[in-house]
Amino acid sequence: MSMQRSALHQTLSESGAKFHQQQGWDLPQCFASASEEYQTAVTGAAVHDMSYAGRLRATGADTLDLINRLSTNKVDELQPGHGAPTILTTDQGRIFDLIYVVNTGDHVLLITSPETQQPIIDWLDKYTIMDDIEVEDVTETTTMLVLLGPGADDALAQAAGQDSGLAQQLPAYGYAAIEIGGVTAQVIRQSLGDVPAFTLVLAPQDAPAAWRGLMDSGVSPIGTEAYDAVRVAHGVPTYGHEMGQAFNPLEAGLIGSIDFAKGCYIGQEVIARLDTYQKVQKHLVTLKFGPEAQVDLGTSLVQEGKVVGMVTSLSAISGGDQLVGLGYVRKANASQGSRLDLEAPAQGWAEISGFSQIFGPGE
Amino acid sequence: MAITQDGVELGVKISEKAAEKIKYFATKDGTEGDFGIRVAVKGGGCSGLTYDLSITSDELPTDKIVEQHGIKVMVDKKSYIYLVGTELEFSDGLNGKGFVFVNPNAKKTCGCGTSFSV
Repeated sequence: MSMQRSALHQTLSESGAKFHQQQGWDLPQCFASASEEYQTAVTGAAVHDMSYAGRLRATGADTLDLINRLSTNKVDELQPGHGAPTILTTDQGRIFDLIYVVNTGDHVLLITSPETQQPIIDWLDKYTIMDDIEVEDVTETTTMLVLLGPGADDALAQAAGQDSGLAQQLPAYGYAAIEIGGVTAQVIRQSLGDVPAFTLVLAPQDAPAAWRGLMDSGVSPIGTEAYDAVRVAHGVPTYGHEMGQAFNPLEAGLIGSIDFAKGCYIGQEVIARLDTYQKVQKHLVTLKFGPEAQVDLGTSLVQEGKVVGMVTSLSAISGGDQLVGLGYVRKANASQGSRLDLEAPAQGWAEISGFSQIFGPGE
Repeated sequence: MAITQDGVELGVKISEKAAEKIKYFATKDGTEGDFGIRVAVKGGGCSGLTYDLSITSDELPTDKIVEQHGIKVMVDKKSYIYLVGTELEFSDGLNGKGFVFVNPNAKKTCGCGTSFSV
């Protein structure tokens, strides 16, 4: 099977990227040192070519209204320049996908997880009866960058030749079109956990110029390994690991993207009941592993001989010598600081270092 | 599962009380002229599909239109598939629910009765 390549493949290659194959794409794994890239992302300004995430362009008068009827957050009144995360849920209240809905004024941009764009098109289509909505997959006809780190805002301002950053002008998930390196980029203020970040969507032919503009402003490129390390260290769930139809949004710590007062959407009754009667069975937690830990994805977490959870993501970079990860742990056993055993053949222990709640605790 | 009246297939059958209430709401809103009730299905609601009622004079070329109790009932072609055989009733009183849909196609209905799946 031939792998998809981003419009920046050549540019990244010239910057020293080592590629690997993931999710059907030929992706930059790292440039020089993944651990240095991780440090840049959490202390400075870094950019990751995230063209492998899905992007849909939706038009038609009923677009926001339809998505509002199918997902957890209130998006029907999003004004041009505004956006919001929302979760498409099944009638069982499980996660179909977490998407970012952005009203650009011209159309509605939907940023999806990697490889979920076609299932989402089919999902929207299934529930479109008389609604005025057209959805087009623009994943291959656009390039997407994630600019992240505490220095991202200043670097973006510098690249755009502006005196002040966008963070103050744009609300969370807000949208603006700005010029970088002589080309127009669609910018969305979209943090990665508590790491400040911006998503940039570009025409493929414009991507190299924007990339150079960012490099000239002191931004460093990072690969998938460092990006994933930031994600794991900051408790951000990803599709296929922590999100999917095995989980509901409350377990995944996504309560901050649920509007409990908006009215009906698919799965709403189930989610409202889980919340009201505190029936959530497990929580997504961040994990620190012991120094000698031997652990894999899917390793069971054990307390007093009983399986109480499972490891869903791992990173060796972000914790220095220490492995860190994400996992689901039964509610009764999920308390910060508590230490769980790793079930054989894995060895060692995992400590719950925090709870994942990327959109906050909800209202 | 179709319901017929004088040999005409009714997409959606409305009760006399529902018809009265539709006339009442139309008058209250100041609607005049040749109006009717549009009964439609939209994606959404707890169970996946939800009912939508509107008083309108806009007919679509593909509408199935049958007059009942002096009310023109319009159902678009796509909604018709989900609604065929449905009876629209009106439940009032202190704990009344307002317009109630009794839909033989619905396999699952949410608690409040406005959403269903087939």
